[in-house]
This record gives sequence, C-alpha cells and structure tokens, in this order.
Amino acid sequence: METFWETFKRHGVSRRDFLKFATTITGMMGLSPSMIPHVVRALETKPRVPVLWIHGLECTCCSESFIRSATPLASDVVLSMISLEYDDTLSAAAGEALEKHREEIIKRYWGNYILAVEGNPPLGEDGMYCVVGGRAFLENLKESAKGAKAVIAWGSCASWGCVQAAKPNPTTAVPIHKVITDKPIIKVPGCPPIAEVMTGVIMYLVLFDAIPPLDSQGRPKQFYGNRIHDTCYRRAFFNAGQFVERFDDDGAKKGWCLYKVGCRGPTTYNSCGNIRWYNGLSYPIQAGHGCIGCAEEDFWDKAPFYQRLTTIPLPNVEASPDKVGAVAVAAAAAGAVAHGVISKIRNKGGK
Amino acid sequence: MIEAKKIYIFSPGLRVWHWINFLTIMVLFFTGLYIGNPFFLGPVGVEATYAYREGITMDFIRKVHFIAGYVLLASFLFRVIIAVFNKRDRLVFPAVWRKDYWTSLKEITLKYTFIMKDKEGYEYIRNALARTFYPLVYLMILFMIATGFAMYGMSKPSSFWSFLLGWLLGFLGGEFSVHAWHHWVAWLIIIFAVLHVYFVIREEAIKKNGELSSMFSGYKVFEKEPVDIKDIEE
Repeated sequence: METFWETFKRHGVSRRDFLKFATTITGMMGLSPSMIPHVVRALETKPRVPVLWIHGLECTCCSESFIRSATPLASDVVLSMISLEYDDTLSAAAGEALEKHREEIIKRYWGNYILAVEGNPPLGEDGMYCVVGGRAFLENLKESAKGAKAVIAWGSCASWGCVQAAKPNPTTAVPIHKVITDKPIIKVPGCPPIAEVMTGVIMYLVLFDAIPPLDSQGRPKQFYGNRIHDTCYRRAFFNAGQFVERFDDDGAKKGWCLYKVGCRGPTTYNSCGNIRWYNGLSYPIQAGHGCIGCAEEDFWDKAPFYQRLTTIPLPNVEASPDKVGAVAVAAAAAGAVAHGVISKIRNKGGK
Repeated sequence: MIEAKKIYIFSPGLRVWHWINFLTIMVLFFTGLYIGNPFFLGPVGVEATYAYREGITMDFIRKVHFIAGYVLLASFLFRVIIAVFNKRDRLVFPAVWRKDYWTSLKEITLKYTFIMKDKEGYEYIRNALARTFYPLVYLMILFMIATGFAMYGMSKPSSFWSFLLGWLLGFLGGEFSVHAWHHWVAWLIIIFAVLHVYFVIREEAIKKNGELSSMFSGYKVFEKEPVDIKDIEE
C-alpha cells in the first residue's frame, strides 16, 4: 500500500503544504510541537490502514459529526489517509456485495485493520433488536472484532450505552466493551463526539501505529483529560460567583456562568471548551445553554438536566439533597431532644 | 462498692485532633453547601476578573474549602499515626471477638430504649454502640477525603491527585455521581455530629461523669471498674 506522502504527491500536494498539514494535525492531535518531525516521518513511511466502520443501535450522529471535520477534512481522512473499506452509511455499494467485501477484508488484513464501531449491540432476544444484513448486529460485531488490531468505540453509544441503554433499557443494549473483551478499545464518547476529536484519534492510530494514551476509563487523554468547566470561557463568571438563575434573566443576557441552571461542565470531560464545534465556531455553553454532559457515562439517567444535583424520586416532592439533609438533621435533633427528656425522666431517682 | 475513680482516657494528641477535626468539618460543610448550591451571588456590576476585590466570591469559598480539605487530610493522617504509637488511641475498633463487646451492645441498646436504667449494668471505657459507629465515621471522613481530592485533582489531569485517585471517578459512575455522593456523605457526617453531641450531653446529664469535659481534660469518672479497662492500660 502507498504511504500518505505518496498519496499526497499523486494528488499534486506540494511539500510545503504537506508540512503545513503535518504541523496542523500535530496540534489537533493534542501533541507538542516537538512531535512534528515524528508526524512528518510517520506520514512519509506509514501505509494507509484499512478501517471497517460498522453501525449498531445508533442515530448516525457520530457519522454526521465526523463528515464535518475541518482539520483534517473528513474527505481527506476517508479518501487519502485511511482506506475505509466498509461503512454502511457512507459506502456507494450496498447489500450482499458490501457484506461480502467486509468478510474479505477481515480475512485479507487479519490482525491489521482497525474496527470502528458506531452504536452498540442489544443483547435482548438474541440481539434481534438490531439486525444488519439479515443477521444480529451482535454477531457482526463479534466477527468483525476478532481480527481487528484495535477497536474504536465511537460516541456515547459504543462507549457507555447512551440513550438506548438508559433506564429501563428495554433492549438490553450494552457498550461494546461488554462484548469485546480481548481487544484494546479506545472510547471516544460524546453524543456525538467532536469531529476533530474523531479524526484526531484516527490520525493518531494510523500515524503512530499505537493506541493513544488512555485515562482510567479508556478515553484518549489528549481529548478527554480536561473538564469542560476547566476549559470554559465562562469560568471567570463562576469564580466571581456571577450565575445565571433563569434563562430569561439579566445574567443570561450578560453571558454569566450556567452552573445554577444545571450545566454539566464541572463533571464532564471533553474538548468542547477548547476545540469547540463546527471548525471552532461555538459550543453549547457559548450558545447560552448548559452542557448536558453527553460524553459522560449514563448521562441520560442523570436528569434533570437543569439542576445541579439529581433529586430523590419522591412522589409530589422535589427532594434535593440539601432539603433532605436539612430535614434529616432537624429530625435527628428533635429525636435527640425527645430521647433526652425521656432518658432524664427514666433515670430519675434510684441514686 | 469501690470509690469513684478518675481514669485518664484521651491523650493530648487525640484531644487536639478532635477539635481541629471539628472545626475543619464545620468549615468544609458550610463552604461545601455554598459550592453545591451558590445561594447568594458574588459581587455583581464588576468585571468578573476583578470581582475578588469586591467581596466574597465562589473562587474564595472554594479556596477555603480546599485548604480545609488539606487540613482534614493532614489531621486524619495524624490520627492514624497516633493510633499506631499509642494504645489509648486505638479504641476505635469494635472488639467483636470479645464477649464484653456483645454484653455492652445489649446493655446500651436496652438503656437507649429506656428498658434498663443507666446506672445498672457494667461500666465501659467506650460503649459498644460508639465502638461500632466511630469506625464508620472514620470511613466516611476517608471517603470524603478520597472523593474530594479525586475531584480536586482532576483540574490538573497530570497532577499527583489525579494519578492517585482519578480512577475513583469512573469507579463510582462518573464525576456527576461523585459530586452527589460527596454531598450525601457530608450530610451523614453532620447527622452523626448532631447525635454525637446529644449522646455526650445525655451521658453527662445522667451520670455526671465528666463526659462533656473529657475531650478537654482527658479524664472521665467511673464509679465501677470499667470492663474494657485493659484497652487503655499500657
């Protein structure tokens, strides 16, 4: 297979533009400038890697996000940097021919291809809640993962389970790491993940032929190392104690911190605060709405999105932890006084 | 009947630790309440960057919380160390392997449910209910330290704290859940504190044995020889 540099030359890309490109993606991958020579070297020597991109229970928002990547352009990634051999939503081919091609690729590049999984498998009813090409997606997934070098879990579906795994999870949808246990899995959570994070992860895998450094939950550190809260441009308002109380108040107009209206920035790890979305145009908090924590585990079950802490489900009562705590302390104090009075009476006399 | 006897129970280190612990927990609790739910706004009408000059800000309250967190950690370590070197300071563990623990548990339950009078039964250096609950309180404090520093450390992903405790966040179901846990356990500690103060006052009011002042003086008065006296004898 030809290397990136050869592909670039074939497309008439100048050496200067090639180096610019290498510099840009080094930054996008979250690497330090000292890594630029390594990236250039890798681009010159590494062959393109075959990628299988399969879809389970999902909404294709990951693909939608991916094709909007600006640096590098998704088209560049798909057409020149990797060799995307199978993707049911992007392929021109369809049907049995495409399914057969997937099987062939698995055989031909056994142990060398990357498996990208968008969505997750439902285990209920033998996996019949998600059928691809006449077979349960669960089988497809296991079969495709067997010969893979590494597995990418695209989005919150593949990483955590997301909306289909939210309570009560009628189809028993599970994140892919419950099914694939013998392969390195890179979790790229988000609903969807940021486009540049997706292309960045692929670039890293392809260029360095290695798994990017992962945190304790299996997410690439360079993109999921920081809280949105710690990279948020509205952080100064948080520190100053200037909070939006309602979405129509003066603070909201002034762009104050959304902490009190339930922003999940303080508990969410993602790159929204620094890379942002749509080629760096904006992100939810910049648009005036709190983060809903879509890159975090079971974020659907951590409702309501407009409160800082989950309430306890009591009928007809809004039981925030502070209210429950205060009531419990008051009850304990009242109980103590009552107990004390009885104790005193009971122990009277009998000296 | 033997004469009432003053027995030395609490070492100076333990007494100092107790009061530092009390103050730290109070500071942590009230600053924590504000951090969880900022019920008053910081200075408004000023640039956020300069707000710290104008009054109390979230930033300041968090700083106090974090400093108190470090004090709590240091005092906890101090508590562990004195327990290693001093037999008196090892009263915390429930002696479930001894018969007197179970006798005491029965007696104290009967006393607290008004079936037995407080003067009846044996005397103990520390009753079995206290022996059972204190370890839980230490565990709760340890939990607060661990979750607290895990969240604190993740502000700098390459820091010592995130290396040491970062895994805890994923283990407890994500940082959002950890915030909630941190909150709930804080309330549990306060409920303990209320009951703790009550039972101390109750003991003092009924037995007049110096329970209340023992955490200052170190001495308590006993009318009978306590059953578990061996726990504090060198």
